[in-house]
Amino acid sequence: MTTVQKLPVSTLSTANSYGPSKADGRGLSNQFPAGLRVLVVDDDTTCLKILEQMLRKCSYEVTTCCRATMALSLLRERKGGFDVVISDVYMPDMDGYKLLEYVGLEMDLPVIMMSSDGRTSAVMRGIKHGACDYLIKPVRIEELKNIWQHVIRKKWNDNKEIENSGSVEEVERHNKRVAVDEADYASSVNEGADGSCWKSQKKRRDAKEEEEDGELDNDDPSASKKPRVVWSVELHQQFVSAVNQLGIDKAVPKRILELMNVPGLTRENVASHLQKFRLYLKRLSGVAQQQGGIPNSFCSSVEPNSKPGSLRGFDFQAMAASGQLPPQALAALHAELLGRPTGNLVFPGVDSSVLLQASLQGPKCVPIEHAPIAIGQPLMKCSPNISKQFSQPIEGVPSGFTAWPPNSLGMADPSSNVVGLNTPSSNFLVQMLQQQQEQQSSPESSHNINVQPSCLIVPPQVSNGFQLGNNPSPVSQSSTFSSDNIAGYSLISSQSNNPSFGVGQVLDGDLKNVGVINGYSVPGVSSMSSCSIRPENHTIWRIPGPSSNASIINKSSSFAPSIPEASASYGSRTSGFSDQGLGRNLGFVGKGTCIPSRFAIDDTESPRSEHMSGRIAMNGDSNKLIKQEVNGDLMDSTKVGIPGVQYFAPSDLMSIISK
Amino acid sequence: MDVNQLQRRWFDLTASLFREGFLDDQYTQLQQLQDESNPDFVFEVVSLFFDDSERLLNDLATALDQPVVDFRKVDAHVHQFKGSSSSIGAQRVKNVCIAFRNYCEENNREGCWRCLQQVKHEYALVKSKLESLFRLEQEIVAAGGSVPMME
Repeated sequence: MTTVQKLPVSTLSTANSYGPSKADGRGLSNQFPAGLRVLVVDDDTTCLKILEQMLRKCSYEVTTCCRATMALSLLRERKGGFDVVISDVYMPDMDGYKLLEYVGLEMDLPVIMMSSDGRTSAVMRGIKHGACDYLIKPVRIEELKNIWQHVIRKKWNDNKEIENSGSVEEVERHNKRVAVDEADYASSVNEGADGSCWKSQKKRRDAKEEEEDGELDNDDPSASKKPRVVWSVELHQQFVSAVNQLGIDKAVPKRILELMNVPGLTRENVASHLQKFRLYLKRLSGVAQQQGGIPNSFCSSVEPNSKPGSLRGFDFQAMAASGQLPPQALAALHAELLGRPTGNLVFPGVDSSVLLQASLQGPKCVPIEHAPIAIGQPLMKCSPNISKQFSQPIEGVPSGFTAWPPNSLGMADPSSNVVGLNTPSSNFLVQMLQQQQEQQSSPESSHNINVQPSCLIVPPQVSNGFQLGNNPSPVSQSSTFSSDNIAGYSLISSQSNNPSFGVGQVLDGDLKNVGVINGYSVPGVSSMSSCSIRPENHTIWRIPGPSSNASIINKSSSFAPSIPEASASYGSRTSGFSDQGLGRNLGFVGKGTCIPSRFAIDDTESPRSEHMSGRIAMNGDSNKLIKQEVNGDLMDSTKVGIPGVQYFAPSDLMSIISK
Repeated sequence: MDVNQLQRRWFDLTASLFREGFLDDQYTQLQQLQDESNPDFVFEVVSLFFDDSERLLNDLATALDQPVVDFRKVDAHVHQFKGSSSSIGAQRVKNVCIAFRNYCEENNREGCWRCLQQVKHEYALVKSKLESLFRLEQEIVAAGGSVPMME
């Protein structure tokens, strides 16, 4: 956990290490680039000695290291202690590319590769791995004199990226700057989507973070003048669905652009976002690796058209749920793509215009605070403004909550649709991890997270029309989970706005007869939640306290209705839980374990309900995901014993949208 | 022998090393890197190179002597040898290393073996030349002179 947590932090410190003014190119000290802190890694001591002397001649501060592993631990120990890394490619203990990868993921430092192998293929490989330069040995001092440019360039590029797509680190780093030039979001492609709510929320956050980021004051004037594309959630969803259609491996900026068909968006914007996206996927895999020792392959292979249940997503969620993976880290990862600051777990998505609309229409939302509070365990904090928007708290909600056993199932707040689940026992997570590992082998379930179709973009109106009938998605319980600790729950909630929604049911008759779930369909009124928990343990899920940060969930409650959420029921239900009328909105979901995961990008960030609805993949037995496509009505799909996941194919979604 | 004479001999020897391709520009770079703060820099680096080279040559001989040659391993050694020889400007050694690597790629044991002999030979040559150069420099210093700088 700690490693992950460090991620953003380390980047931050690294980035700032050289001092903003220097990186800015303005106000450079007279000595610049003297004092640049360079770490040189080469197993060849002769080369190392020569390089050291050369770099000294350049007045850099040199640290040498003849083992890649040593270099890595040095870098980890002294985060922010170096400005640039020069590494040999071939080293006995660790391939230079591997080191490069680690450095890129953990420290985000510019890395210069060097080798006496000057073949194009070798150089290309270095570049592909993210080297900012490739020096052919013997290295000449003239080349080294110039390496400071990579430090500066990286800084500037990061600044640029912020304009285009933004990444967590940069956003964090330049939070303030962004806030300052919010006014010129002029060319934002989807300005409409970025409602004032978002802005104000961001400001609020900015204000909060300002104290922490004292150094971030550098406003880069050149940056604010360039046209900027704000990758709003919607835009990102379109992007993701385009990528899904094409397949991650085949997705090239041009095709994506065509599919997205967004006026004003350029190939470059898409290319840059795609790059970020890939990086993000890669980073996810890195995180997974660090976290659970999950094999890289597990994460790194992204199937283009991944099925809804992604193990990967699953992991993260699971981790998040158990508290192993700090939500912030997860959120940060996800947010990276959207370029939104993730200081806390406030859901930016909530403020999207869509939500706004929704709230205007049927303000029967319960302020977020209520639900969690009622339970005594606030899930997430929502920024005040959000809650204000949903002006009508639903009464009775609290009581409903109280009725629930505190640690059994937690549900959420209507407005944000937050469901928090927390697994008390860490072993649960372990199991999940194990399971995941086991399941890696199964192609279907193993990858996906990334491309998770997070894109359900359904305009509110449309959603009303939608009927969600029974959308039960049965989830079978996987044997792995069978231990008492596992609980499956599914909550379905509908927003009051959407009367049609009434479904939520989980079926259970079909499901091995085990437990019936309660589906409520209370049109317009309350959301339904159904949860089934295994009899053995009632206590498994609970709403995470803020501290645990576990969970999350769907935020865009307004849409929830439109989307039939899949509910997962693991085997049996607990009688105690049965119906809880929760607040009205929420809709969300359960996938037993995966729930937590939804948060970040998808849920958190998306204003619309993108649910990844079907992601669950945990099925132990069959590993199969069932895809259900929504055809506007309900489907009843019940597969017994098989985890069903509802999945909205991107195309479907798109069609819905177009309506 | 007076300082001037020693210095002239130093110039001649250095010039011949360059002319005959034993050394290249990289060696000049090393000389330029040497300064007051690091007066023995060239000597130290070259000594390191000698140590490394002898180890590498041994490893190469061992690797090529196996019943089943692991050419990737051989190649890795040669690669490193190439890197270090080029770093000090031992051009002829480096050139043999390039040929050597080609044979490695072809898994050509014969070729590799020949290259090993060649590289040993070149290494021995450049080593003895450099050693005489260093001796000369020591004599110059001992005679109260300073080692001239190459242009």
